[in-house]
Parts: sequence; structure tokens; C-alpha cells
Amino acid sequence: MFHSLDHLLGSAYFTLFALASLLCGGGLLLSKHPINGAIYLIGVMLSLSGIYALLGSPFLGVIQVLVYAGAIMMLVVFVIMVLNQARDHRVPRFDGFSIVGAIFPIALAAMVVKTLAFADASTIDPAAVRGEIAPVAATMFDLTPAGPGYYLLFELIGVLLLVAVVAAVMLAKRHLDSPAAPAAPAEGDHAQH
Amino acid sequence: MDILHWITSHPYQTAGLILPIAIPLILFQVLPLLVLLERRGAAFIQDRVGPSRAYIPLPGLRIRAFGMLYNATDLIKLLFKENFVPPFAYKSFYWLAPAIPVATGLLTPALLPWFSPILYQDGAGVSSLTGTLITTSSGLLLLFALGSLSVYGVVLGSWSSNSKFSLLGGMRASAMMISYEVSMGLSVLGLLLIVGSFNLTDIVEWQGHHTWGMFVQPIGFLLFLVSMFAECNRNPFDVAEGESEIVGGFHTEYAGVKFMMFMTGEYLHVLVASALLATLYAGGYELLPFPVPMLADTSGFVPFLTTVFRPESYLSLDTLWVKAHLGGVVAIMLGITAVLVFVFATLIAGRRRNYAQQDAQDRDMRLREYGIYCSAFTGLGVMLLLGAIACGLFMTTQPLVAAGTLSPQPIYPGWVNAVTAVLQFHIVIGKTLAFAWLFIWVRWTLPRFRYDQIMGLGWKVMLNIALVNLLITAIVAKAIGGGR
Repeated sequence: MFHSLDHLLGSAYFTLFALASLLCGGGLLLSKHPINGAIYLIGVMLSLSGIYALLGSPFLGVIQVLVYAGAIMMLVVFVIMVLNQARDHRVPRFDGFSIVGAIFPIALAAMVVKTLAFADASTIDPAAVRGEIAPVAATMFDLTPAGPGYYLLFELIGVLLLVAVVAAVMLAKRHLDSPAAPAAPAEGDHAQH
Repeated sequence: MDILHWITSHPYQTAGLILPIAIPLILFQVLPLLVLLERRGAAFIQDRVGPSRAYIPLPGLRIRAFGMLYNATDLIKLLFKENFVPPFAYKSFYWLAPAIPVATGLLTPALLPWFSPILYQDGAGVSSLTGTLITTSSGLLLLFALGSLSVYGVVLGSWSSNSKFSLLGGMRASAMMISYEVSMGLSVLGLLLIVGSFNLTDIVEWQGHHTWGMFVQPIGFLLFLVSMFAECNRNPFDVAEGESEIVGGFHTEYAGVKFMMFMTGEYLHVLVASALLATLYAGGYELLPFPVPMLADTSGFVPFLTTVFRPESYLSLDTLWVKAHLGGVVAIMLGITAVLVFVFATLIAGRRRNYAQQDAQDRDMRLREYGIYCSAFTGLGVMLLLGAIACGLFMTTQPLVAAGTLSPQPIYPGWVNAVTAVLQFHIVIGKTLAFAWLFIWVRWTLPRFRYDQIMGLGWKVMLNIALVNLLITAIVAKAIGGGR
């Protein structure tokens, strides 16, 4: 009884998350205001994390919420909020760059569809646990010489991020120290929509 | 009738179906108590009378219920206030923002363990009913993820209000919450390194085996406590709403039910933070700080430092001890509660004598009201005491299935499991309220920090201490525990 119920609920949740991510993705494409786009992107990330969890990777889903929706998009929204200009600044939906930008997602989608169309569905075990903490840790920190060596990449990315942070601090500091810093622009009109 | 038959023959499965509805409502039940505690605590610390005006009028009597009625008056006032939306607001996010803190605050109880896993015989095998709704090995991470999502309520609310005060308050609050999330995550890593699991039930069970987290990681505990104050936007970190500078901060433009939802979210976060502190550092549902009584039995002992965790459905020594001596434990707990109730009744009686000497206008009314409280609490205390005696004399527990036959641990009958679960739930709530009282105590004692002091403390002091604490913990853990 419970097995079939789980199955039914799993399908329902998958449909829900997939529809939500598609809707949010469409909204992201069609939104004119930057903060609308940011919120739609958060919606896409949240529904994708739900799909990850359904596919036996709860850890990846949680990390998706924690890192992407919680931290990175937070910074994006924060910057949009701080930029006074963004309040009433609406960009056109599509411009010349959109054509170039559309090629890559369409190509990627074609590849995914082709792969899925020729895949053997019977080899996929939906109940298998993939992105859980223990397997991820075992793969990532496999220190044996024959191992994949992901830990080296992990450390390298950490160093890269550190360098980026130091560079950002240096750039910001140079801007602060310059004597002829322009006065802060007057607070813009708190506009009426 | 089929359903009734199924319910009576599958009590644990029925409990598993009821709990998902009951547990998210737990915090809503404790919320009025917290608001009352805040009001009375503020009055107590500031030497005021406190909430005493709202009352239920009865003939010749006014029942004020210690200020509890203020929750009802607040609710009525906020529900019937004009639903005013500023014309300059960005409508969609203005409506969405107050819901976010409430939603995240209501989701978090699903991740916290409210009682120890219950083992029960399921056919020929053994199943377990966990005290969390969402049992995942990344439970703490999910909790932090929900906490980081709740910042969006502040950000969107302040931005969409389209007002200077809101934006300034929102920027202050969100920058502070983002900053303190770093030291919050780093301070808890030391404990996770020792316990070896992100699963909150595992963390509590580990504490039931050894000792509470606050004794293992005292520095991490203090850092986590301070970070939690900042995450909840509570004094001394409440720069989000400086009345002298930015009016109400991010909720300046909010009124009525939407304002109420922001406030509900704030108090829910205080409760969640207190429950998390209780779970991570004060043993959660475990009764004793050091499970000494069971140390003689080392059959199921878990090493202090381990990365390979014990098998599923494994109860801590503390829980086993509580289940084996349930009658005595319940008797002692009820006895302590009875003593507290008697102390409270004595305080009320003293207040009543004070009123009797005064020559106030409504003296008789107050004397009658306090007389009712006095007799009610004395009666409650007597009942608790009788219950304690009855439990101590007659409640004896025998395992249904002895240890080692079906599972390595004994399986107890249903009523023992139920009583233990209720007891452990009250232990969690008690510890949570104790930490919530700490929040209130600090709020009404310390002045507000300046904004640069907050940022300096977060980035220059706490982050460094947390990193050094983590480093030392890692070195000691490696030196003592060895392992992988």
C-alpha cells in the first residue's frame, strides 16, 4: 500500500516541481524588471533542488538551496536592491544578444533530448542514492593514488576563490583610498510606479 | 469500520500519519507563551507592572490571566485593522514578503527531533518511528538553508516598500544576517566534526551517549549563541529597526495582518533558534547532561569520536535509562513541576496579601481574582503531586521483547513509548523556553550595538575565533580519535 502511495506521490511531486521550474524559467525569460528575473531564477533553483531530492540526491538539493538560492541569489538581489537605478529601470525583453544567447540552450536541449530518446530506461534505478553525504564525501576525498583526485580540484577551486576575494578587496580598497572620490549621487526620486 | 480497525491495529503508523499535521503546529502553540514571557519578562526587568489591563469581565470579577489576554487583543486589533498598501509600493513583492519568514519558520520544526526514535515490532521485524518528520542525513544543512531563505522576507519587504527607512533597515538587517551566517556555520562545524553526522537525531543521540554539546564545544556554543541572536535580529543586534534612526526598519510600511506576519516570523525564529540551541548544545530530548547511570552497561557503547556511525534504530543510553526507569523519572519530573507550581502559588498568595493591605478602588475584585488563581494553582500542584506518587508507586516498565532477540536493544510496549515521547517532547520544549528566556533577558538588559561594531564583531572577532576553534578541534580529534 505504502509503496504505491510513495510512487504516486513521487510522480505528483515531480510533475509539480517540473511545472514550477518551467513556469519560473519562462517568467525569467519574459520579465522586464531585474528583481522579477532574480526571483524567478530563485524559483527555478528551488524547484530544481526538489527534483534533485526526488532523484536520490537530497544532499545536492540542500546544497542547491543553501549555496545558490540562499547565498548567491541573495547577493544578486542585494546588489539589485542597492542599485538605486534598478528600481524603475526596465530593459527590453529581447535584443540582438538574445539571438546569440538562444543558440546554446537550444543546442543543449537538443543534445539532452537526443540522449534521452536513445537511453535505455530499464537500466536506471530510481531508488538508488546518488548525491548523499557519504557517497559524495567518499568520491570527493578519495585520497588513493588510483582515485579520481577530486580533492585536488576542490583545493584548487578554494585557492581560486580566495584569490578572487583578495583581488576584490584590493580593487575596492584602491577605490576607497583615491582622494578624488566622487561625492555620492543624491538619493534618486523615490519614484512612483 | 475498516479504518477504525486499521488505526487500532497500527498505532505507530497512525501516529506517523498524525505527526506531520501536529508537529508544524507545535511552534504556534508555544508562540503565545513566548509573547507572554516577553511582556512579563520586560516588565520584570524594568520594574514595571506589566500587562494588566485586558480582562474578561465576569460579574464581580475580572480574569486577567497574567496578561495572556493581550495575545487575543493583539490578534483582534491586527486582524481588523485597515489593510493599507502604500500606493508607491511594488505590489507583488510587498504581498509576498511577509509570508516568507512565517513559511520558513513553520517548516523548521519538521527537521528538529522532538522525541527519540521509537522501536516497535512490525510483523517479524523491527521498525522505528523517528521524532523528526524529515529524516535525512543532511538535516542540519537543510535547516541552515531554510534559515538563509528567510532573509528574503526582509530583503523583499524592505525593497518593495519603496521607502528610505525600509530600504535602510532592510539593507542593515540583510547584510548583518548574511555576515553572521558565516560564523554560525563555522561555529557549529566543530561539534559536527566530533559527532560525525549532519543528522539532528544522530547529534542528539550522540549527546545522550556522552555529554551535552555545550560541554564538548563551549567556545562553539557561545559563538553559535551570539550568531543566533544576530540571525533573529534580536537585541543587541536589532539594527534592522532603530526607532531613533530608521523608524521601524524593514517593516515601516507594513500594517495589519502583514505586520503581524512579520512579527510572527520574528518570534518563530526566536523559538526555532532556541530549539536549535537546545538540540545541538543542550542535549535536545535527553534528560541528563551526563548519562552516568548506564555507563556500567557498555554493550552498546559508541566511541567518543567516530566517522562510521552506528546502525539505524539505535537508542541512546539516556533514552534507554529513561525507558527502563520510566515510573521514577516521571515521578521526579512531576514532583519538580509540582514544587514549581507551589512556589508560584505562594508568590500569588503574597501578591494577594499586598493587595489586601492596600486601599485600592477595585480591592475586592482583585482579591477574588487572586483567590481563584491561588486555589487553581494549589489544586494543580496537589494533582501533580498525587500523579507523581502514583507514577512512582505503580508505573513499572517491562520490555515487550528483551534485548538481543529481535534487535540489539529492548522493545517496549506502546504506552511506555508514548509516555517517553511525551516526556521527551516536554524536555525539548522546556529547554527551548529556557533559551528563549535567555533571548528575552539579553534583549531587555543590553543596549543596541552600533552598526560598525556589529560588522567588526562578526567579521574580525567571531569568524577568527570560529576558525581557530575548528582548527584546534580538528587537530585534537585527529590526535585522539585517529581514524580516517
